[in-house]
Amino acid sequence: MDSGLHAFSLRIKMLFHKRRMDREMAEELEFHQTMLREKLAGQGVPKSELNKAARQTFGDAGRWHERLRELWQFRGLENLLRDISFSARLLRKSPGFTTVALLTLAIGIGANTAIFSLINGLLLRPLPVPHAEQLVVLQIQEGDPEPGYNFSSPLFRGLERQHTIFSNVFAYFEGAPLQVRGRTGNQEVHGAMVSGQFFQALQTPPLLGRYLTPADDQTGGNPEGLAAVISESFWQRWFNRNPDVVGRKLIIANVPFTVVGVMPKRFFGVDPTQRPEIYVPLSTEPILDAPFNMTGGGIHANWLKVMARLKPEVSLQQANAALIPLSMPVVREQVSDADWIANAEQTHFHFAAVSGATGFTYLRALFRKPLVAMFAMCGGILLLACLNLASLLMARSAARERELATRLALGATRRRLIQQLLVESLLLAFVGTTAGLAVSPLVSQSLTTMMLRGYFTGYIDTSIDMRVFLFAAATSLLATLLIGLVPALQATAGNLYDHVKNDRHSRPTNVRQRMIPRILMASEVALAMVLVAGAGLLATSLVRLYRTGLGFDPKGLINISFNMDKQPVEGAALMQLYKALANGLRHLPGVRSVSWEQVQPLAGMTETRDYQTSFSKGDREVYFNTVAPEYFETMCIPLLAGRDFRWTDTKAQGKKIILNRAAAKLLFPGQNAIGQHLLAGDKVSYEVIAVVGDAHYSSIQRAAPAGAYVPIPQSEWKKMSYTAVVRIDGPIAPLAAAAQSLTARLAPTIPPPVMTTMDSVINDSISSQRMMALLSLFFAGCALLITAIGLYGTLAYATARRTSEIGIRMALGAKRAQVIAMVFRQNAWVAIAGCISGLIAAVLASRAMASFLFETSPHDPWVLFVSVAVLLMIASCASLLPAIQAARIDPILAIRCE
Amino acid sequence: MPAKPDALSQNDSNSSELVQGTLEMLILKTLALEPMHGYGVALRIEQISHGVFRVNPGSLLPALSRMERAGSVKSEWHATENNRRAKYYQLTAKGHKSLARETEQWQRQTAAIARILEAQL
Amino acid sequence: MFRDETTETGELIQGTLEMLILRALARGSMHGYGVAEWIHQTSQQVLKVEEGALYPALHRLELRGMLSAHWGMSDNNRRAKFYQLTTEGKKRLSAESQRWARLSAAVAFVMQAS
Repeated sequence: MDSGLHAFSLRIKMLFHKRRMDREMAEELEFHQTMLREKLAGQGVPKSELNKAARQTFGDAGRWHERLRELWQFRGLENLLRDISFSARLLRKSPGFTTVALLTLAIGIGANTAIFSLINGLLLRPLPVPHAEQLVVLQIQEGDPEPGYNFSSPLFRGLERQHTIFSNVFAYFEGAPLQVRGRTGNQEVHGAMVSGQFFQALQTPPLLGRYLTPADDQTGGNPEGLAAVISESFWQRWFNRNPDVVGRKLIIANVPFTVVGVMPKRFFGVDPTQRPEIYVPLSTEPILDAPFNMTGGGIHANWLKVMARLKPEVSLQQANAALIPLSMPVVREQVSDADWIANAEQTHFHFAAVSGATGFTYLRALFRKPLVAMFAMCGGILLLACLNLASLLMARSAARERELATRLALGATRRRLIQQLLVESLLLAFVGTTAGLAVSPLVSQSLTTMMLRGYFTGYIDTSIDMRVFLFAAATSLLATLLIGLVPALQATAGNLYDHVKNDRHSRPTNVRQRMIPRILMASEVALAMVLVAGAGLLATSLVRLYRTGLGFDPKGLINISFNMDKQPVEGAALMQLYKALANGLRHLPGVRSVSWEQVQPLAGMTETRDYQTSFSKGDREVYFNTVAPEYFETMCIPLLAGRDFRWTDTKAQGKKIILNRAAAKLLFPGQNAIGQHLLAGDKVSYEVIAVVGDAHYSSIQRAAPAGAYVPIPQSEWKKMSYTAVVRIDGPIAPLAAAAQSLTARLAPTIPPPVMTTMDSVINDSISSQRMMALLSLFFAGCALLITAIGLYGTLAYATARRTSEIGIRMALGAKRAQVIAMVFRQNAWVAIAGCISGLIAAVLASRAMASFLFETSPHDPWVLFVSVAVLLMIASCASLLPAIQAARIDPILAIRCE
Repeated sequence: MPAKPDALSQNDSNSSELVQGTLEMLILKTLALEPMHGYGVALRIEQISHGVFRVNPGSLLPALSRMERAGSVKSEWHATENNRRAKYYQLTAKGHKSLARETEQWQRQTAAIARILEAQL
Repeated sequence: MFRDETTETGELIQGTLEMLILRALARGSMHGYGVAEWIHQTSQQVLKVEEGALYPALHRLELRGMLSAHWGMSDNNRRAKFYQLTTEGKKRLSAESQRWARLSAAVAFVMQAS
């Protein structure tokens, strides 16, 4: 409304020129009086009478002034300020209620904001580059339901030249850390290999010097040599922000690179969970990865993530349509293998694009579901906290009925009272949110640490940006309405006139009015029930994960990884070194046995091979490991039949293999496998010399797969790095130091070995399950606490208001036990109704849980039974206290209070 | 102008209301024609004003009882045409006098307002 | 609101004050005292505007944008706040006048009935 706007702007002016406007009002009224006096004097009124006569006509100038002043004020604003100070005073008067309210809200809103800031950092925040919405992630569609995100170099190099729909196409690889020579030898630095158009596509200008261009991404680098770009933090750490860094040399993997530029802090490439410190051209991969070479792997090495920037006028849909006819020509141009091309044609191989505005990280696929589940749990807690506060406020406002009714009778409008009550909850929500926002970075950081355990270079930016802030504001507004609206409507509804007339002990007879708090409490119990049941299921599942037979004993098992890549000995000499190391380790204190393995079980890496026998009907895929003698003894994997490997089982003695029970069953169904032969994919024949127990290999969740073991002395690789497995009694600390000095003595050129306990490997491999279970237990505990407080609080209020009634009952002969039962019954029905509806909700919601559970039915009767029992117990405790207090009422005193 | 009870509300919205005095004058005038029950008064005012005024019972009945207390009307219970009992109001001598005074006042004031509205620009 | 000088129960016609103020100012800008005086004179001393109602009405009209105000010098060379009709105020005046005509005509109908 225009005139409303006009008044608003004038009133704003008044706020800033209060004094001047005030003076002018006085002057205007004074002028009028002066004119009156002049007129009266003209009419012959004597001078002495003038003032009196003027006042008689004019009236009380002070009152008129006050009226004008009111007109120019923001009535809403002034009322608001008055309400706020009134509410603050009320809240200060009941510190118990206020503390509980603020704590529950701070927990609720803090946890929600923390999880949201994680979701924001991982899933929502766009890349900090210009026009991030034009970025796309390229996929490979081969008829599989899941698209592929890994490209081989030839396919990428073919795509890189496509400029019909893309302004730029780029690839990157964040592999092993780069070995950078510092003052004290080689150090590992997190780096990224990026293709020529990477920086052009991301359009972020360098802080210093220049960024990498297609000219740098050539074999051998640009005409001046190999170039590298460093991050601002690396510039700070290594060069102390020295501006002449451009042109300096960095020795990476023993090869000199020239620093050509520094990227600003806000730039981190396209993976929001990584913070690379050095960017090098993709073409230098064979140098940096030596002795490996992914580029040389050609069409068979899928290692690159490919992204592109769409031309401004091209939509994602148009891009996808254009990619289909473009795909096979790229394949034909880049691939020489006719079988490969034929296979691609058959599977309708084509490229596709999806939005890449938020960049690309594999952590997203890993954590999306647990995060959303946690978000739901947090939302549940917040809802619970709000319901709880609503019930408490309602109980309290019931105690304030008379005050409110009096104010209503004195002319306050219902809207005014509701506003005042809402201001009270707004104040609570505001302070609660502030506290929540203050703690949420701590929570989100510790959550990040928990989540990223085992992902060494992972990073999630959980800082509070505008989106998180708006989320917190919206949440607290919602909380305000949830907390305040129902109690406010209820407290000001009904025939309040009756409350003024009647004394304070009259019971409101309105059934609906009495039902609302009970329904609120029952839904609170139900919600708590769902959270407790969910936590129970996740915890049970976690315990079962830990208890599940791994097929080996992780207790007291240590892995020590040795990196043999860059040391001189190989072949038989290296075997001797491994034997010597094993012998050394075996004689360290507390060590019971020692062996070697190529693949560490449960650590995330797997290797499979195909084998066939005359019984197997073709190739069978079997998990594969290369191990040393005494491996099964050390791991505590039972040797079911046959003999263990020996150091003398070399290739010359004929190839030997040990199968686990599942593999024996797969390859020799119904046969005794010992002494039989099987053929590997390369047609080499192996003799089965033993069958051992099944052990978990790739993950704890997946059942132990068919597996095969070959002895280390038979390995085709001349220079292989193995991990020592050591079984110890007692503490690990002395072993660590001893292993270090042993390595320094026997193999002085290799880097210090990395030692991990099998327990920590297992913990890391189920870190997200562990986090979910721990968090849900924590949330369930919060839910129980909040519910108990709510049940206790509302009942205590209700009982306090019935003091005289109870007193009369007792004076008339009611026994204490009867009083206890009477008060207790009030909450018992609420708790039982809540548990039943919660149980139903839990059963319905459990389907969503199923994917998080391991060998645990989402309807596990024990978990549900225990949840109900726990809730009923908590509810009983919370209800018994007020009941016992009620029974302690002295009837004489209670009645005298009337 | 806040907080004055709406004595006569007009058919069209956003009207400035006439105060108590004007309503009472209209009631007095209507009752001067013939004794009537409250509903009849409301109906008659609405009719004669060609629907411009619609008398709200919430203000009519308090006004009538106030006028009864002041002695300008008196009331009796009668049966209506369709045999319902209703309270019939009748003007007293005092009522006739105050009708005359208020009519004169009203005319004087509307004339004054007309003078102002028609004054030279 | 109005004090009718000839009777005791002066308050008769409410809601016309703003219209009369707007009408007074339709002649040109005036200070509050001038508005009150003009209404008093023009109504031939029938209508007397209460000061306690005049200034709130003027300020309310100013807040709603019907009037604009400025400080100027009065005839006897004193500083005074002058009010002036805005376009919005002119529109409002004509609407109010029409409404008043309808309203008073309706009352007249009732009063003439026999």
